[in-house]
Amino acid sequence: MEIVVCVKPVPEAETRLRVASDGTTFDPEGVKFVLAGYDESAVEQALLLKEATPGSRVHVVSAGPSPRTEEVLRASIALGCDQATFVELPASSSTDPVTIARALASAIAKAPHDLVLCGKQAGDDEAGLVAAALGELLGVPDFGYVVDLRWDPASSHLKFQRSSEAGQEIWEAPLPCVIGLQQAWNDPRTAKLPMILKSRKAPIAKVAPGGAPSPPPASRPERFELPPPRLGAKLIEFKTPQEAAEKLVKILREEAKVFP
Amino acid sequence: MTSGALVVGEVHDGHLSSASREAIGVARGVLAPSDPVVGFVAGAAGPTAAAEFAQLGVGRVLHAADPRLDAAPVGAVAHAVATAARAAGVSLVVAGGTTFGRDLVARLAVRWDAAVATGVIELTRDGGTLRARRSVFGGRASETRRLEGERAAVAVRPHAFPAPADGPVPLALEPVPTDDLPAVLVAPLRREIRPPDGGTGPSLTDAAIIVSGGRGVRGPNEFRIVEELAASLGAAVGASRAVTDAGWRPTSFQVGQTGKAVSPQLYIALGISGAIQHLVGMVSSRVIVAINTDATAPIFKVADYGIVGDLFEIVPALTAEVRRVRGL
Repeated sequence: MEIVVCVKPVPEAETRLRVASDGTTFDPEGVKFVLAGYDESAVEQALLLKEATPGSRVHVVSAGPSPRTEEVLRASIALGCDQATFVELPASSSTDPVTIARALASAIAKAPHDLVLCGKQAGDDEAGLVAAALGELLGVPDFGYVVDLRWDPASSHLKFQRSSEAGQEIWEAPLPCVIGLQQAWNDPRTAKLPMILKSRKAPIAKVAPGGAPSPPPASRPERFELPPPRLGAKLIEFKTPQEAAEKLVKILREEAKVFP
Repeated sequence: MTSGALVVGEVHDGHLSSASREAIGVARGVLAPSDPVVGFVAGAAGPTAAAEFAQLGVGRVLHAADPRLDAAPVGAVAHAVATAARAAGVSLVVAGGTTFGRDLVARLAVRWDAAVATGVIELTRDGGTLRARRSVFGGRASETRRLEGERAAVAVRPHAFPAPADGPVPLALEPVPTDDLPAVLVAPLRREIRPPDGGTGPSLTDAAIIVSGGRGVRGPNEFRIVEELAASLGAAVGASRAVTDAGWRPTSFQVGQTGKAVSPQLYIALGISGAIQHLVGMVSSRVIVAINTDATAPIFKVADYGIVGDLFEIVPALTAEVRRVRGL
């Protein structure tokens, strides 16, 4: 099975966000970028499928600006991916998820791909658009919010669950298709030192966004805002648990109005 | 961008979902009074949902009746939505920002050549320019994006907008052809839907109220105290990573960076200290209440209301008080 996994560099979770000087996005200066959490699950799933399915290969693809994009590709190789492709995009068009999807699709379409795995969203823009846009661009079905994915060789179908508002949906799908994975349910592995050292010298194919020149970003960031700092909780004073309960319910009904 | 909007009706439990109802109000908010709002429904539940559209003042509803759409992946439905949007001549599609709606607008970005935004918490129009504000970085920041071009498709965050009031109009149901639906998009099969793990309560990502428990709940049996409060409120049950890592509850309960991101109207955190890992998944909730013995716990920095005390004393009293005021 030819497995493609798409990854994205995002600021690490503990990053102290600042607004960039032009006010349209966050300031990347001094920010440490890491493999997005949901994408770690996608890489793990790709490696699990490869290990369970003889003759499989994992091709990791990322589209974005240098050097952070190459760094997450190297991190993916260190985890066990076989091949890496870097689609270079300027930072300005890397804020538009559909532009990213088009760049990824141009690289994926040129290579063998039975199954395309992505995180269901990235922890920075939280758009969650790439998997489904890839499905449309590649002309195949897509499924988001997926957990518990496995390949059934007898039926040549993927079997998986996806979490939706209705509950856990149980699906069977032929290949090819695109899967957006829920985060962390598969306990992603960490890279071992020899693999990290090896990944530093691994070749990364660098390609320009292919096909027709990409259309300009159809959505453009204009303003990035940090919320006013939360003032901290208003603490409820009480002498008995009953008093605490009565005061809280009164506040929730009359002041916060979140309660019928 | 003034030629009307198509609102995609999603059906939950046989009825038009609350997220779809909210989407009607969002569409109206950016249209001129003379611009039409048109509904879209699919599959066997379509006619019932269409009648509910009409109850909310949306009389013209396009129906893709193709039975293949009842258990098809979102790509097949998106195909029909793009057909309907062209037939209706609209320049805007609005969907609820559910697991379905987000994938739907991503598909429309390509299939219908639209600018898209998901998780929208504010949609405005200034002349011909649409702007969408959305929460990013787990609610730690927001961004406003300009949606350029002739067409836009947005998925609006559930619970972020009020549902429109009733204003019944006559229903005119129109068929949407699906003869050109590619076979590949309907090849996958949905075998079944199992209700959420939490039993009969709402699912985490859809709930207006969430009650979550953390390490301070002490164990799997004690966790029932969290579930009893949730049941009294009609709330979904969540958990911190400490709880799911310890196996007290399944990972599907987990709220946080490595679990589900939620933004209910009310989030009640019981015995949760407030590690950044958890906070990024719930900090955009409208009102946050924390109950914890440790007054210095970081959760009190993001909470709106706090009770410093023993949750094993406070929570049963709170459950009893909620049941009392709700007449349960």
